[in-house]
Amino acid sequence: MTSSGISFNGVSHTYRPPRGRPVLALDGVSLEVKDREFVALLGPSGCGKSTLLYLLGGFMPVETGTISVAGKTVTGPGPDRGVVFQNFALFPWKTVQQNIVYGLEKQRMPKPEREKRAQELIELVHLEGFGDSYPSQLSGGMKQRVAIARTLAIDPLTLLMDEPFGALDAQTRTLMHEELLAIMRRTPKTVVFVTHDVREAVYLADRVAVMTARPGRIKEIVDTKPSTGSRAEFIHTQEYTEKVDYLWNLVRDEAIKAQGEH
Amino acid sequence: MERVNANWRRTLLRSSSVILLAVAWEWGARMHFVSDFLLPSLSSVLTRLFEDIVSGDILVGLGLTMLRTLAGFTIAAAAGIVIGITIARIRVIRWFFDPVVSVGNPLPKIAFLPIFILWFGVFDWSKIAMVAFSSVFPVVVATWAATESVDKYLLWSAESLGVSKRQLLWQIVLPAAMPQVFTGLQIALPISLIVVIICEMTMGGQGLGGSMMTSMRFADSPGVFSGIVAIAIVGSLVVKAMELIRKRLLVWHEENAH
Repeated sequence: MTSSGISFNGVSHTYRPPRGRPVLALDGVSLEVKDREFVALLGPSGCGKSTLLYLLGGFMPVETGTISVAGKTVTGPGPDRGVVFQNFALFPWKTVQQNIVYGLEKQRMPKPEREKRAQELIELVHLEGFGDSYPSQLSGGMKQRVAIARTLAIDPLTLLMDEPFGALDAQTRTLMHEELLAIMRRTPKTVVFVTHDVREAVYLADRVAVMTARPGRIKEIVDTKPSTGSRAEFIHTQEYTEKVDYLWNLVRDEAIKAQGEH
Repeated sequence: MERVNANWRRTLLRSSSVILLAVAWEWGARMHFVSDFLLPSLSSVLTRLFEDIVSGDILVGLGLTMLRTLAGFTIAAAAGIVIGITIARIRVIRWFFDPVVSVGNPLPKIAFLPIFILWFGVFDWSKIAMVAFSSVFPVVVATWAATESVDKYLLWSAESLGVSKRQLLWQIVLPAAMPQVFTGLQIALPISLIVVIICEMTMGGQGLGGSMMTSMRFADSPGVFSGIVAIAIVGSLVVKAMELIRKRLLVWHEENAH
């Protein structure tokens, strides 16, 4: 099995808006994510956590520091890192099935295999019967399930998720959490998950990296792996509540600082 | 049968204002509020239109007018889409076209008519060129805006799924830009119709605009009105056809979701 650990090494990033002064968004971020580990990046809005993820995705050039995945330095986007965005970013002119097989077409997988794989994924994310629907005909939760299936289709080593459930209502979000964990049990991957929701981070992640308000730095890394039992039980334990409280206190200070800035 | 009846009723209801105007026209003309010369009755205009269709006169003119319209429009569409995309993607092209478009877009293009006559003569080419020149701007502007405003997350998603730079344009940017580009085309088409009629009126010769001017000179107002009715019918049919093509092409778009 290939190792797919991720390492951020002294990564800084400056935004240069067309007008106005440059803004230091990230300041010397270093972080190691182990193979098949689920790490959440938690921080107030504007702390640069999404920027860090986009740098990891290769969508923006890394100017200071280095990011490497499975020992290879990131220089651009690639199918080894699957990405799921908050606003789904589905191809609206393609059906659910066509969206899911798009990455497989790029890998030149033969058509019969592609379709078989698409069928498996549609079942995995519980969208049977919607293969021929267009995204505009689906609900938010269904759209995000398609996006996850599309990303899983190319079987990436790592999964980058940018507030993937942020646009969903609370009930749908809870269901998606359970589904994501079920999927990860079946096909474990290294995951970097950006969120500003403390509960979500504690519930899903093995470790939570708390970021400071701008310029974003890693403030503290907290182990959130349940010491006993499954995740479904974890949510009802004293341990879970304590972790949530502890992390909330860390984020709270930063959120107040971030608000003061505006 | 019920469905058919319901559809008919809806069509009737939607066109009721046109029917009302037609009735008012016929009634007003028959009451002789104005002279027959200024406002011939609708029935006499329709009779005239029918005669002209039977004799074939109007069909030749109408055909020629539509041919010029569609030729100019097609050139404008093709050129406009190519220019719009290249402006958005190639720096030199943008440097050249950006100021040209910002001056040219609000300019009444018909002001170039005398020049176009000098350059291309008074026959088909000058009219087609005038139509293309007038209609190209909305297509350029729509395509430019559309290709530039493609959601960056859509592009990033495609890139992380392994799409190449060249495929990105054809497989992602163009389909994503389609709805807006099509809106540009839908703006350009009526402009093409307007300009072709003006050109024919000014330059004379065959074609609907020309024959309407001839009718006017012979004080033949039913002739003028039958031209208006003919172009109104054909024009609205062409615009309707564009709407249907849009529906077909953009089944996936929110506007067509149920």
